[in-house]
Amino acid sequence: MVRVKRRYLLCEVNVSKRSDLLQLDDRAVATAVRAAVALTHGDYGAAHCLIGFSVKYLNAHTGMVFLRFPKSCYKLLWSALPFITSIEARGKKIPCFLNCVHVGGTIRTFQKFLIRYNTQQLHRMLPKCKDEEEKQQVREAILQCNLPGGKKEASEDELESEEDEEE
Amino acid sequence: MSVVVKKDESGVYQRVVLKNAAPHHYVNVCLVLEDESTKLSGVEFKLFIVSGLKSLYGEVGAALPFDVLKYDEDKRSALLRVYSRGLVKLWSSLTLLGSYQNQACAFRVLQVSPYLLALTGNSRELQLD
Repeated sequence: MVRVKRRYLLCEVNVSKRSDLLQLDDRAVATAVRAAVALTHGDYGAAHCLIGFSVKYLNAHTGMVFLRFPKSCYKLLWSALPFITSIEARGKKIPCFLNCVHVGGTIRTFQKFLIRYNTQQLHRMLPKCKDEEEKQQVREAILQCNLPGGKKEASEDELESEEDEEE
Repeated sequence: MSVVVKKDESGVYQRVVLKNAAPHHYVNVCLVLEDESTKLSGVEFKLFIVSGLKSLYGEVGAALPFDVLKYDEDKRSALLRVYSRGLVKLWSSLTLLGSYQNQACAFRVLQVSPYLLALTGNSRELQLD
């Protein structure tokens, strides 16, 4: 009807060294996306990026980025994302690539997807755990995620503690 | 975009309506420079247009395939051919191209047509004696 329609893109930032991931912040990702769009689609693409584009959420521990685009031009801007080779954060250039995981129209569907995705990641981590203590923690985290009010923050906290221990 | 309309299944005739079926569009342009004595070769001319496409539409725009079919070096006029879906991009970047090597310039688009033969008759250059 009279609602402003947007498309949200969930991307995963892949870096070679996990310690670099913690230095990302949302403004650095936004400038990297704008630069890639300006390079690939010129002034026309840069103008599309001006209104309605923003980085909604960034999780430095898991490397998940939430991008918001207007519905009319999201395909054009999406096509420029594979051309991002590095993100400059705090003076350092971090070589990385963005991997798009999910496209959706509302943040609520994304929250549900993110919970499912994080539980899948925890399941994948379980066989990789080195000792019994970590396995117990991961099992507890998975059980917590399946709660009816399954909070996003709970699963993420477990996830980041796992990764800190594995480093 | 082509629309095929069949009048009658059992009838003897079939009407076919085609809209903008031509794959290419032909553009007759002329480059006007501030300094009339500068010479541009054919390659430089094409490179100039590609740089205009690149600034407005980026790498994807610069990859738009177009051909310079004829080039007149003295009058700096050329006949370009471009795919029909790329006409808007080419024309808009020609419009917004403003400077060549620090001198003001302008592209005058004289004729545009999906058919090459239509460009031969030009009423602007008609000489009425």
